[in-house]
Amino acid sequence: MFKPMYKNFTHYSQTAIIILAVIFSVSNLKASEKKHGDAPYTGHQIDRGQRLFYGLAVFESGKHNCQSCHYTQVPKEVNWNPSAVDLADKALKTKDYNLKKVMDNPSSKVMRKAHEKIKITEEEAELLKAYFYKVEQKGLEPSKPFPKNLLIFLTTGILMALAIIDLLFTHKIRFKAIPVLILLISLAFHIKVIANEAIMLSRTPGYQPDQPIKFSHKVHAGQNNIDCEYCHSSVNDSKVAGIPSNQLCMNCHNVVREGSRTGKFEIAKIHEAVNNNKPIEWIKVHNLPDHVFFSHAQHVNAGKVECQTCHGEVEEMHMVRQVKDLSMGWCINCHRDTKVQFLENDYYSTYHSLRKALETGKKDSITVEDIGGENCMKCHY
Amino acid sequence: MSKKYWQSLEQYHEEPDIDQHKSESKQKNDLMELMGDEALQKKSSRRNFLKFCGFTVSSAAIASSCENPVKKAIPFLNRPAEMTPGEADFYASTFFDGNEFCSILVKNRDGRPIKIEGNDLSPFTKGGTTANVQSSILSLYDSGGRYKQPMKEDKRSSWKQVDPEIKDKLEAIKEKDGEIVLLTSSIISPTAKQSIADFRKYYPSAKHVTYDAVSQTGMLRANKRSFNKQVIPSYHFDQADVIVSFGADFLGTWISPAEFTLQYSKNRKLNAGKDTMSQHIQFEAGMSLTGSNADRRIPIKPSEEGIQLANLYNIIARKMGETSFNVPSARINMKNVAAKLMNNRGRSLVVSGSNDVNIQVLVNAINQLLGNYGKTIDLSRPVYIKQGIDSEMRDLVNRMNQGKVEALIMHNVNPAYDYPDAGEFSKGLNKVDLTIHMGHAKNETSKKATYVCPDNHYLESWGDALPKEGFYSLQQPLIRKLYTTRQWQESLLKWAGKSINYLDYLKKHWETNIYPNKAGLESFSSWWNKTLQKGVLDTGKDNGQPDYTTRGLRQAANSIKKSNNKGFELVFYESVALRDGKQANNPWLQELPDPIAKISWDNFAAIPVQWGEEKGLKNGDIIKVDGIELPVFLQPGQAKGTIAVAYGYGRSETGKVADGVGKNVFAHIPFQSGIRYNTKPGVEVSVTGKHMELALSQTHHSMEGRDIVRETTLDEYKKDHAAGNHAHEEFVKHHKESLYKKQEFPGHHWGLIVDLNSCIGCSNCMVACQAENNVPVVGKEQVKNRRIMHWIRVDRYFSGDTEDTGTHHQPVMCQHCDNAPCENVCPVAATMHSDEGLNQMAYNRCIGTKYCINNCPYKVRRFNWYRYVTNNEFDYNMNDEVGLMALNPDVTVRERGVVEKCTFCVQRIQEKKLQAKKEGRPLKDGDVQPACVQSCPAKALTFGDLNDPDSEVSKLVKDKRNYGLLEQLHTLPSVNYLTKVRNKPEELEEV
Repeated sequence: MFKPMYKNFTHYSQTAIIILAVIFSVSNLKASEKKHGDAPYTGHQIDRGQRLFYGLAVFESGKHNCQSCHYTQVPKEVNWNPSAVDLADKALKTKDYNLKKVMDNPSSKVMRKAHEKIKITEEEAELLKAYFYKVEQKGLEPSKPFPKNLLIFLTTGILMALAIIDLLFTHKIRFKAIPVLILLISLAFHIKVIANEAIMLSRTPGYQPDQPIKFSHKVHAGQNNIDCEYCHSSVNDSKVAGIPSNQLCMNCHNVVREGSRTGKFEIAKIHEAVNNNKPIEWIKVHNLPDHVFFSHAQHVNAGKVECQTCHGEVEEMHMVRQVKDLSMGWCINCHRDTKVQFLENDYYSTYHSLRKALETGKKDSITVEDIGGENCMKCHY
Repeated sequence: MSKKYWQSLEQYHEEPDIDQHKSESKQKNDLMELMGDEALQKKSSRRNFLKFCGFTVSSAAIASSCENPVKKAIPFLNRPAEMTPGEADFYASTFFDGNEFCSILVKNRDGRPIKIEGNDLSPFTKGGTTANVQSSILSLYDSGGRYKQPMKEDKRSSWKQVDPEIKDKLEAIKEKDGEIVLLTSSIISPTAKQSIADFRKYYPSAKHVTYDAVSQTGMLRANKRSFNKQVIPSYHFDQADVIVSFGADFLGTWISPAEFTLQYSKNRKLNAGKDTMSQHIQFEAGMSLTGSNADRRIPIKPSEEGIQLANLYNIIARKMGETSFNVPSARINMKNVAAKLMNNRGRSLVVSGSNDVNIQVLVNAINQLLGNYGKTIDLSRPVYIKQGIDSEMRDLVNRMNQGKVEALIMHNVNPAYDYPDAGEFSKGLNKVDLTIHMGHAKNETSKKATYVCPDNHYLESWGDALPKEGFYSLQQPLIRKLYTTRQWQESLLKWAGKSINYLDYLKKHWETNIYPNKAGLESFSSWWNKTLQKGVLDTGKDNGQPDYTTRGLRQAANSIKKSNNKGFELVFYESVALRDGKQANNPWLQELPDPIAKISWDNFAAIPVQWGEEKGLKNGDIIKVDGIELPVFLQPGQAKGTIAVAYGYGRSETGKVADGVGKNVFAHIPFQSGIRYNTKPGVEVSVTGKHMELALSQTHHSMEGRDIVRETTLDEYKKDHAAGNHAHEEFVKHHKESLYKKQEFPGHHWGLIVDLNSCIGCSNCMVACQAENNVPVVGKEQVKNRRIMHWIRVDRYFSGDTEDTGTHHQPVMCQHCDNAPCENVCPVAATMHSDEGLNQMAYNRCIGTKYCINNCPYKVRRFNWYRYVTNNEFDYNMNDEVGLMALNPDVTVRERGVVEKCTFCVQRIQEKKLQAKKEGRPLKDGDVQPACVQSCPAKALTFGDLNDPDSEVSKLVKDKRNYGLLEQLHTLPSVNYLTKVRNKPEELEEV
């Protein structure tokens, strides 16, 4: 079966691209150099601020590790505390921001509890602010997973090379079967990695980006039982389910201004967006290639498919994660298995031959496939 | 078939198609170009090959090793209640560019207009549009051609700066009672007229001059003489059984083509047992779109037109006992035409496209004798589309040159380009103290004006229109202003001391003047909302039929003289695509092939074939006509001794698309006794010996000697409804077995019927399709290389000889064959059949072998030779961030190296199916309308479900006139055609 790999397709031999591409993507070449801006602080001040923040230097009120809560690395799991970048944003972008004052008067229960024993002086506040300049420039550090696959890939590569050298030139190993075996196993491993990477090219199952607001579907849809369609209201009418407008958030958060986990910090972002007339830029989790036409209305309204079928148990997720791989094979398999609302929906009353097949017992149900669910132009036009 | 059809002169003479061979060799070269120059020069060796391989593979690898991009989803801050993201809304509005009027619906997707459709509530167009209307969406997104802010002396300025300056200057002129002139194109908006009146109230010395680049002065003045009303009447071509037209291209460009096309085709449809249709005789010099559809077309010189008409008048007058006049005898005997008209009194129509008052007076007299007024011609509901009187403009230019005009405020006019003596106008412009231009796009005149106060595009504006008495059409904005522009009416009012919102002004005008303020009627705001939603309002108000007088008739008859002019007669015409050139910077229109000559990206001299052959001229050879060097096109049917040239080309200051394309011929039109004539006698012609290749889109689509267009005459048809289509019966009889497996269609089976008797070849469908399906513009060079991308083309065939030429139009799109030859040659199964009879094309699967193109007998598949999007080599609408906003987000933008073709607008099918499913009802016939079908002004196309026995298409498929293109191949196309029937009159003899 064909798998869509590219948004842009070219003349070039696709296989060649894939093989080479995999080698490159395995080696994970990605260098991001961010410039340090011209902060109104000296490097020394910034360094001292950083040491304070990381708990390497001692505050007047004692030793506190800010970074242990206000994380500086992209989190893998949900971390309800504002990140260092969040703090920096707030401190540098708010007019007349006084860090000491804010620390002295915690805005929410959560914050009061967390900062109970932490007191800072004006000088320390200034140093922390200096550090914030650096954080703001740099952003969160990407959390690099340990490159296990890459290491094994390279090791087996070296092993293969050694095995070949030994087979052809050095003949150090008495039993030829050993280098041959090494060669075969390594080769098999290489092929497996390459094939896997090629298949997964541009697919992103497990994608779980950090959102600009720590919005928890578990809290909203799970614990508070808010219907999906309350926020994603165009799901029945349109191809897109729709990201709720800010105004919709305000329906509740006009009143609910403090959360049990995040305090006021996250919810305040909604109010800020309204005040600044600037919508929140969410990160899209479920992405389809441009050449795929997908309509939510078709699946949810006409097809009566549950949201969870494709999106997983979102009501159990604090951070939304892509559960299915959204590949064409996955789409087609579902089209083959899923039964349509054939007798319930009058639209199908003109499908006489299928109706007959159903009546005569030739078929016991009508699947999407039967009504053309495998046609290219159902999704690609 | 006995009739010989031909598409090009080479074919007529059975010469090999030279261009074809040339283009083939060119294609080979282009393939090498793709590899770059170096590759061509170097001897290819194994080493080079490896280098290339290495480079290609590694660069591709680097490109694809990038991480998946982070995509953002940005919601509304406050979502408007009426809009659903991802769903399109339609709003009724109005198109009027000073030349053509149409009530439209605009498709708005996520806050931006992306497609124009006809408003089916309009009683005059019923959803039809023209190519010009369809294309106008692009001019909204023409970031290069539009003004983005006010300008002063060609430098960027702001409203804050220019407004007080202009106001002060106007006040100063008012103080000394100096002359302020407001120069506009025809204005059909009652509210805009009100704003002009308010402006003139504030500045009592202000005058309003209307100027049309292509005017109807002749008719306006003739009606003033005959009826004491300076108006254009409404015409009812549907009520006329005999139509005699003298050079009036009423299907292409004359007054209201979309409306006339609907009327014309209505009386020529032969469905549902009807076997009568109108008879249309056309006298003209150049082959016009209207002439190509006539049942009989008689080529005459423009100078003969008056004589023929006068003779026709005399014959009718004598028979009816009215005074006849002493006129020169005609070359063509008009006896038969007169008899035909006399037999259809009150059901006939004589029209003339001439701008000569005398000729129009004669036409009035003939129609009066035939009793056509009040029946096929309606003066009680005059048409206001053209109001300009040429002499007023001439007077203005004179006064400007005398230094009498102190301020000139211009809107939607471009005299520096289209005034016959543009130099004189420009000279006069320099003598005017204050010159302001209020157009939405750059042009030759706005460049010369001191101030440019840019108008909104019409899709950003509020407005109304009164194209004919009693019929209103409303205009509403579809998008927030893209640039710092302001509606011109607001500007006028601002300078007249009124800072108002134009919407309030408009509503107030409607409330006081148009709202039928009767007791018991709903409130104004509710009535207004409903009217705005419909977009049109027909109050049915008429002004009563005026009385006819023979005033000026004798004078008119006496003015008819035999022309003694030597040399050629030059005929100027508006081309169907570019009209008077206002929308010249529109790449869709530039690439739209002329419906007759099939030439795009140029105007040309259409010359008679016989003369051309005598001189040894070939298409593209350059001749000098009246001092202009133009490439020739040997036009079959062109009257002897005449040459036809289109207006609208040769722009110089309007934008990257139009500048330098073709030649401007406005400077050559004669301006005599206050009238601009569209013909020029006694023109010198010389052959230059130079040559240029024309961008012809036609010859490579030749369908050699097969009965592609099936045709019969009305008499034959009455005897046998299958006349001309017996081959179809043969086919049905013989093609019973097939190697192909029989296709099954469990749900729908989509089909399209093209009624060749209704299709006039106007090419509206081509642009509608282009707009709907993101079809790229490829430019002149690529059109020459036969790589035009239109998914639907209108083939044109000639029959008969090179003088008495019959013309046949045939739209051809993918035929969606059930036994599709393209499908089984695709090595990667990128094209295959759907369960609904669609021949599908999966772009992301296509690897570009082009086998399908090779195997398609209809040549409807298109190959993306290049990347046409965001590519500087194709610097049109798709190479512009703003221009990209016009793309339809539901249709993939195709990449280089893939094949594409008509999809039956599958996105529309899917959308309507989904809507039906959501509502839990079966699809209704007519729910799904592809772009071409929706906007066809002639209603020649019918789309529907062949599985539904009650659908319109199922009925038409059973019609005896129904046949498939090249059906002997047993491709079983889902597109079918209905034979063309001509209501042939007997031969007209020459005297």
